[in-house]
Amino acid sequence: MTTSRERETQGTRRTTGGAAPRTLAEELRARPDEALSGLLRARPDLLNPVPGDLTQLATRAATRASVVRALDRLDRFALQTAEALAVAPDPCPYGTLAGLMAGDAAEDPRVVRELPRAVATLRAQALVWGPDDRLRLVRTVRELLAPSPARPSPTGLGPTVAEATAGMSPGRLQELLAAAGLPATHDPVTAVTALTGLFEDRTRMAALLAGAPREAVAVLERLVWGPPYGTVTADPAPHLRWLLDRGLLLPAGPGSVVLPREAALHLRGGRAHRAPEPVAPELAPVTEHGARLVDATAAGQAFTALATVEELLADWEAAGPLVLRAGGLSVRDLKRTAALLDVPEPVAAFWAELAFAAGLLASDGDVDERYAPTPAYDEWLDLPAEERWTRLASAWLAATRTPGLAGTKDARGRTLSALGPDLDRAQAPEVRRRVLGLLAGLPAGATAPAEALQARLAWERPPRGGDDTRARLAHWALAEAELLGVTGRGALSAHGRALLEGSDPATALAPLLPEPLDHVLVQADLTAVAPGPLHRPLAQRLGLLADIESKGGATVYRFTPESVRRALDAGQTASDLTAFLTAHSRTPLPQPLLYLIEDVARRHGRLRVGAASSYLRCDDETVLAEILADRRSAPLRLRRLAPTVLAAQVPPDALLEGLRTMGYAPAAESAAGDVVVTRADAHRTPPRAAPAPVPEGPPAPDATLLGAAVRAIRAGDLAATAERRPRPAAPADGGLPRTTSAETLATMQAAVLTGAAVWIGYVNADGAASQRVIAPVRVEGGFVTAYDHTADEVRTFPLHRITGVAELADEHA
Amino acid sequence: MTCLIVQSDKTLLLEVDHEQADACRRTIAAFAELERAPEHIHTYRVTPLGLWNARAAGHDAEQVVDALVTYSRYPVPHALLVDIAETMARYGRLRLVKHPVHGLVLESSDRPVLEEILRSKKIQPLVGARIDDDTVAVHPSERGQIKQVLLKLGWPAEDLAGYVDGEAHPIELREDGWALRPYQRQAVDGFWHGGSGVVVLPCGAGKTLVGAGAMAEAKATTLILVTNTVSARQWKHELVKRTSLTEDEIGEYSGTKKEIRPVTIATYQVLTTKRKGIYPHLELFDSRDWGLVVYDEVHLLPAPVFKFTADLQARRRLGLTATLVREDGRESDVFSLIGPKRFDAPWKEIEAQGYIAPADCVEVRVNLTDSERLAYATAETEEKYRFCATTDTKRKVTEALVRRHRGEQTLVIGQYIDQLDELGEHLDAPVIKGETSNAQREKLFDAFRAGEISVLVVSKVANFSIDLPEATVAIQVSGTFGSRQEEAQRLGRVLRPKADGHEARFYSVVARDTVDQDFAAHRQRFLAEQGYAYRIVDADAVLAGEDV
Repeated sequence: MTTSRERETQGTRRTTGGAAPRTLAEELRARPDEALSGLLRARPDLLNPVPGDLTQLATRAATRASVVRALDRLDRFALQTAEALAVAPDPCPYGTLAGLMAGDAAEDPRVVRELPRAVATLRAQALVWGPDDRLRLVRTVRELLAPSPARPSPTGLGPTVAEATAGMSPGRLQELLAAAGLPATHDPVTAVTALTGLFEDRTRMAALLAGAPREAVAVLERLVWGPPYGTVTADPAPHLRWLLDRGLLLPAGPGSVVLPREAALHLRGGRAHRAPEPVAPELAPVTEHGARLVDATAAGQAFTALATVEELLADWEAAGPLVLRAGGLSVRDLKRTAALLDVPEPVAAFWAELAFAAGLLASDGDVDERYAPTPAYDEWLDLPAEERWTRLASAWLAATRTPGLAGTKDARGRTLSALGPDLDRAQAPEVRRRVLGLLAGLPAGATAPAEALQARLAWERPPRGGDDTRARLAHWALAEAELLGVTGRGALSAHGRALLEGSDPATALAPLLPEPLDHVLVQADLTAVAPGPLHRPLAQRLGLLADIESKGGATVYRFTPESVRRALDAGQTASDLTAFLTAHSRTPLPQPLLYLIEDVARRHGRLRVGAASSYLRCDDETVLAEILADRRSAPLRLRRLAPTVLAAQVPPDALLEGLRTMGYAPAAESAAGDVVVTRADAHRTPPRAAPAPVPEGPPAPDATLLGAAVRAIRAGDLAATAERRPRPAAPADGGLPRTTSAETLATMQAAVLTGAAVWIGYVNADGAASQRVIAPVRVEGGFVTAYDHTADEVRTFPLHRITGVAELADEHA
Repeated sequence: MTCLIVQSDKTLLLEVDHEQADACRRTIAAFAELERAPEHIHTYRVTPLGLWNARAAGHDAEQVVDALVTYSRYPVPHALLVDIAETMARYGRLRLVKHPVHGLVLESSDRPVLEEILRSKKIQPLVGARIDDDTVAVHPSERGQIKQVLLKLGWPAEDLAGYVDGEAHPIELREDGWALRPYQRQAVDGFWHGGSGVVVLPCGAGKTLVGAGAMAEAKATTLILVTNTVSARQWKHELVKRTSLTEDEIGEYSGTKKEIRPVTIATYQVLTTKRKGIYPHLELFDSRDWGLVVYDEVHLLPAPVFKFTADLQARRRLGLTATLVREDGRESDVFSLIGPKRFDAPWKEIEAQGYIAPADCVEVRVNLTDSERLAYATAETEEKYRFCATTDTKRKVTEALVRRHRGEQTLVIGQYIDQLDELGEHLDAPVIKGETSNAQREKLFDAFRAGEISVLVVSKVANFSIDLPEATVAIQVSGTFGSRQEEAQRLGRVLRPKADGHEARFYSVVARDTVDQDFAAHRQRFLAEQGYAYRIVDADAVLAGEDV
């Protein structure tokens, strides 16, 4: 196995001739530059850092982490093809693979048609190499996809006869052969080959099974599509015994049996998958809403989105919610915000996150940290509506923050809070774009059900191991797109399409947005109705004067004594208010409203409140008059409140001091009733940048970078292959073994597979060099976990501290 | 530009001056409840009950969505349309029907829904054996209960189990010189085709006649439940006058009389009298095989009556009311136990047809004197309203108003007996209050009708169902705090059509800057929302004799 792995990845530093490549590195070397660029584009993690040569590239492409990532990105059919290859012999001729995918009868022409594409995909991603008659699956892929008792294959196939009979006594094998009616042989290898040959031969196998008891057939039917394992008692029933005797069930452990792969394939008609899915599921049924209706609905929602964000931030600018110590918004504040916006809490979380992603909202960084609008919010407010929307929508499209997660629990059981940490999901923008992209593929104004979209997404990137993150992200993306007005009635709007294509959505959106109005209808039940959006100054002033009762296309305001008082508090007079309403009302002002305003105004300000830093009290009015008249008292800023009371704008001690210098002998009074008036200010954070999206892995490389990388790899490879250094041998005289990091990695991985011990040079954290003999167990994330023969314990070595590795001389092995 | 604006809180704003407004109103009234009808823009609200009412009346979600999309000025949020469709689809998935073999059964066209509700602890005691996958037997006695519970669970059942005919009794309308008004006829037909349900008509629009019309359709023994004895007499009087029924055929079941006749009129009060922990008069419901039960003033139906009604589901039920708004929020019980809304007509529309008198509502703002203000400020919280509602200043203003309308039939309505007594003394007018005997009441009412006395001071006993056709002026001096219901009823006193087409006046005397004013604002809201705009005048102007 070591040799095969070496062949696969280790550059053998021989220039390839016209013959078939013997390693992945060799094959990569033979590929044109464009193919290499394609590989690096499809798997950008390989570029980080730029590999030194093609050997390194091949090694890295075969590492577990990178392969898992590549498999995650395969569509369902390519993955099914890879899974089929994982249960096929290695190397595997194309014909065998086609048989596994399409079955003996090859009844599904779509499989036959699509298979070359799937193989090409796998090949382009360096997961499969070799010519068509000898397709080779990269070993790491095979390990990940091949069945084992712990992790059954997605194909539902069990181990081969050879694997399942490994370790079986030759005597037992003889019995199997005899029962199956095969000629006896003493050689276990020949015996296994004979049995395999029988199971693979459709005619002879059919004849064998024709004699099976009915119950035995039922058992086989239960196991055929997996999982292939079953349990038997120590004294199996006759029909099980029949199967066990013929090797159709092979022991897989104490009390457990398995249906060998060849037998299962026979029963399946040669197919590795019960249902191969060669083509993406169709987006159906398509519902046509008409482009005009969709655009209008989406624009209506876009307008609502703007109003909602403004309302949220207008509320938060006075007294924004506190930032939790762990970051984020408390559940109570979210509830309050939801009530304010009159939406469910998850939707409230979305609006807050949207404002945050667009950089309109941030934490102010004060001691008691609060959320507040940023200065960018003020600039945003001044933009025309369509550009405001564009800002929001662009931020949303690129954001990795997923508000849908707010309120759920993370792996450690902590509740994730809106605006809080750990809400970034790297796949979010990609999923979002893909979902919208699928909608964009439909005719304008048409939509497909969410289930169809989800099915398509699941085909393009099959969820692995029950991970439904992408499905949930897609679900949220659809809901958010609707809320934001990117889609209307589930179909992509014209401005949504422009957003997706990267052109300016504002031009498409602008004509669809309603024209702001400059009038309202005031009614006798003390309400005013704005039958459409209002000009902002009008809306603001009316919002001060009346409470908003209902929102939507129109706004319903209600005048109450409190709301009128609020307007008076803001410095307006009754006549201001009446004039303002008269100017903007389409209808004559109803009398009860005028009464309301007058009533409130009459009582307003009858009590006066002011701030004074200290006061001066004297029973003798003339003394106070004297002090007021004295020019030296000017800095004390005294004001007469009553004949015997003066208020001063300086603190008591300064007042005392001042009076003393004027020649009086004042006495201090115990302080009481010192009023401090605070006014709530519109609160802003210091300038804050919008949160940068957190992409998964390195960004997709552009053409320049790719070109440069490919040139660098070629150059390195040329250097490596031209100058043929002698292979480092085991250190002779106590010198540390030295190998390149790629070689170290490859040797370690090989040693894990073979279980062989190797000799390493190791520099510990203090810089002390040592030599050790270790048996690597696992190579993962830059660490080697190994049994250290030198220290007689299991240890973990950072790969970068290993100077080199060498195979042991024979006596160590 | 179209006339309807759909709001995100599921209210619909209808611009009434728009040319399409009429057509639009007719369409949306089927599924949306009129909430406010001030002068320019009417507000309708889409509620689950409203949508189910529409389903019960045979409308489907497509029509509703289509109406919204057609008339809406701005794009209708998709979520709202989806929500409407989903809500409407909930009605009728479960049906109560009569099975030829198993009797009353609950039938479902959606098996998961049936499974879901059968898992509910509240449903389990109400149902019997499972008959097949889609059907389960229901104890006939729990027909009302199960409907109530299902509505709470959000799966209102359609009751198709039919009704018993009850004991037949010939009843005819005697339309000599009068006829049912078109809207009354529609209301009767709407009710009769629906089987059971509620008819919503404003005060003074002739709800009694709708009841009589329904009885003439049923031609069966009838139980009529009314709010009080005066109202019971009123019903009896009307029935004798308008139908073929004679005095002897109509019984009164109240605190004083316990007659059970083919048509029996009972008061809520006697039914809900509890003695030794039981309701002794409940047997009235079982004393005859009633073919029809009429509930007057459904919005006042006391809670125990709901409970009895739950057991009466096999009988036809007609609810009559001026408003479905209940101060206690039990609208859903009205829906599930009495039935869906079968007919309604907005107040203003009937006024426009000339069936009820137009009214001019005036709020008179009274300034308290300085000493009164001080006394008010220091009064105990629970005494505050009483104090400001009964001030001397109010009395003076009331007297001035009565003087101003000398010669017109005037009612002075109030809450506090001593205030009324004092007013009666000053105005030299008789006072009708709780302790006034029924005979005395009838006598005074007759005298008032005949014009022998022109001013009557009444307490809240006169809130409901007495007919004072020629009252043209009502002066309200105090009320039951902020009850919108009471305000509507009191206005109803002057809304009966006048012989000379004279406009009615409704004065509400209110003490300025006190809780009285706050309560008045709350009381008036209902009427303002119905399109009755209040004018406000200052008491000083009234006292000075200025034209108001």
